[in-house]
Amino acid sequence: MSSNDAPLIRVDNVSRNYVRGTDEVHALEHVTLHIDQGRFAALMGPSGSGKSTLLNLISGIDRPSSGEVIVSGQSLPDLSEDALAQWRARHVGLIFQFFNLMPVLSAHENVALPLLLTDLGKAERKERALTALRAVGLEDRIDHFPATLSGGEQQRVAIARAIVSDPDLIVADEPTGDLDAKNAESILDLLRALKTSFGKTVVMVTHDPRALRFVDEAHHLDKGVLLDEKAAAQAAAALQASVRGEASPS
Amino acid sequence: MSYTRLIVANLLRNKLRTAFTAGAITLAVVLVCLLLTMPAALDRLLDSAASDVRISVHHKAGLVYNLPESFARKVRAVDGVEAAVGVLWYGGAFEESGKVTFPNFAVEAEHLAAVYADYPVEPQQFADLVKYRDGAIVGRQIMDKYDWNLGDRISLTSTVTPIDLDFRIVGVIEDPQAPNFWFNRKYLDQAYEKKFGEGLGVLGTVWVRASDPSKVNQIMQTIDEMSRNSEAETASETEKSFFSNFFGSLQGFIRIILLVTGLVTLCIVFIAANTASMNVRERSGEIAVLKAIGFARRAIFGSLFGEAVLISSAAGLLGLALAMGLTNFLRSFADSGDLGPMSGFVLTGPVIVQGLFLSLFIGMLAGVVPSFGAARKPVVDALREIF
Repeated sequence: MSSNDAPLIRVDNVSRNYVRGTDEVHALEHVTLHIDQGRFAALMGPSGSGKSTLLNLISGIDRPSSGEVIVSGQSLPDLSEDALAQWRARHVGLIFQFFNLMPVLSAHENVALPLLLTDLGKAERKERALTALRAVGLEDRIDHFPATLSGGEQQRVAIARAIVSDPDLIVADEPTGDLDAKNAESILDLLRALKTSFGKTVVMVTHDPRALRFVDEAHHLDKGVLLDEKAAAQAAAALQASVRGEASPS
Repeated sequence: MSYTRLIVANLLRNKLRTAFTAGAITLAVVLVCLLLTMPAALDRLLDSAASDVRISVHHKAGLVYNLPESFARKVRAVDGVEAAVGVLWYGGAFEESGKVTFPNFAVEAEHLAAVYADYPVEPQQFADLVKYRDGAIVGRQIMDKYDWNLGDRISLTSTVTPIDLDFRIVGVIEDPQAPNFWFNRKYLDQAYEKKFGEGLGVLGTVWVRASDPSKVNQIMQTIDEMSRNSEAETASETEKSFFSNFFGSLQGFIRIILLVTGLVTLCIVFIAANTASMNVRERSGEIAVLKAIGFARRAIFGSLFGEAVLISSAAGLLGLALAMGLTNFLRSFADSGDLGPMSGFVLTGPVIVQGLFLSLFIGMLAGVVPSFGAARKPVVDALREIF
């Protein structure tokens, strides 16, 4: 396989254990997962299944106890804490469930925040932040502070912040978890647009079965283990059934 | 968007807390700057009050021990001595409380003018002190304090000898800082002789005026040599040295105040550090997100440390401005003579620099621990605490 054909994300035989109190928790066990560039992937599973841990490993926030994580050709466990931070700033855009914007900064300033880590001049930083806000449809809200924005708008600002430095990979941890159905669909649409319009690779952790309609691939985890195709198909069917159940009148 | 904007925005997040922290630092800087001016102010006071040709000669054992009255005559005969006047502490109390509220001395009136020729006293008034047995020359500070006028009669009750005397003010030392009260010692001698059948026969200090500043050291040596092995050996010193020793206890007091101020400053460091820790704790979620999106430990540390240093620097500048205003205000009262050495407060360049360094020191010390703690926490642990 040539380097061009190599998946953007390679997770090979990764385990992640940590100690909580006196107990050792096996958050992930021997997980292998490859995601190609330009794909919109969902990591799904019940609470405690290890999907957020896997997302943290992919985004360089956490390190595996064993195994290999290679993203954009970079082996992440080899990097120091500061080198990992630099790598994240350059290659990863992060979106959180609760938006996590700086309440003391305006929408425009929040979006421009990651650009402080670049060599760009002030004028260019401002222009790029405006462009990102236009891309998420918030050009008329640039001077608004988070407290004056709706939940959906705040998540759009967070998405603008994630894409402003033009990263290869967008990772989102339950991006629709704190939104109503309408705003959730709108955000999922926007994430899909990042993939289709800008060629970004998007990896999203979600409980939301509606996400299945938007993603290219879904990976199901349970108790720290990535389910095989058969089990994953069953899990997906169960999720689809739950969607239909929600949609049909009781 | 810039780091400065990020730091300022965070400082303005809780305006009241920021104001209180800055206020505490401002107060510390004002206090320390005012106290740092005191030693220099005292030195300036001594320079302005002391003459470079005047010498104090007193008993080697201390000011409370007397010298023979005849010693002043011997001193006047020393080569290079232009004039010398013997003075004796009277310890007169004016107020009913019986407390001595100003220094009063019986002086050899006929020699006083020559020794204190530089004092702002009319020559006629020095002559009147010799002429009028009950005359007194009084400093302007005391005149104003008790609202006395030239020609007024006043009574003093001695706390040293059982002789109470009535005086007539015949002269004024026109210096707002002058606390002196001089009267003719013949008046005291006669009253004492009348009551006890003999004169006092002693003096406390001989004040000498040298003909030239270059002769001062030689004169002091000669005088002290003259009294060696006698019952009353002397210790001579320049007027500045005399005043300096006299204010010695005040300088000790200043050292204590400086020590206390240092401790207060340390307390303010702890308060500021506590505030910085609270800020970091309250913003742990935001700090975790900053780390997650790529802010390295140095950037996190710099941003938090910058907040502590910026607030302390701003407070320091405000403190210096207030200290300057306060010293100017105090000096504006200098002419009234009510403030004594305090009117000599001047915020000099070195004091300003020390004040600025103090504020920076407070900021750095207060900011370094919480900033370092927040910066070094691994991003995954920081995120786990909030999600």
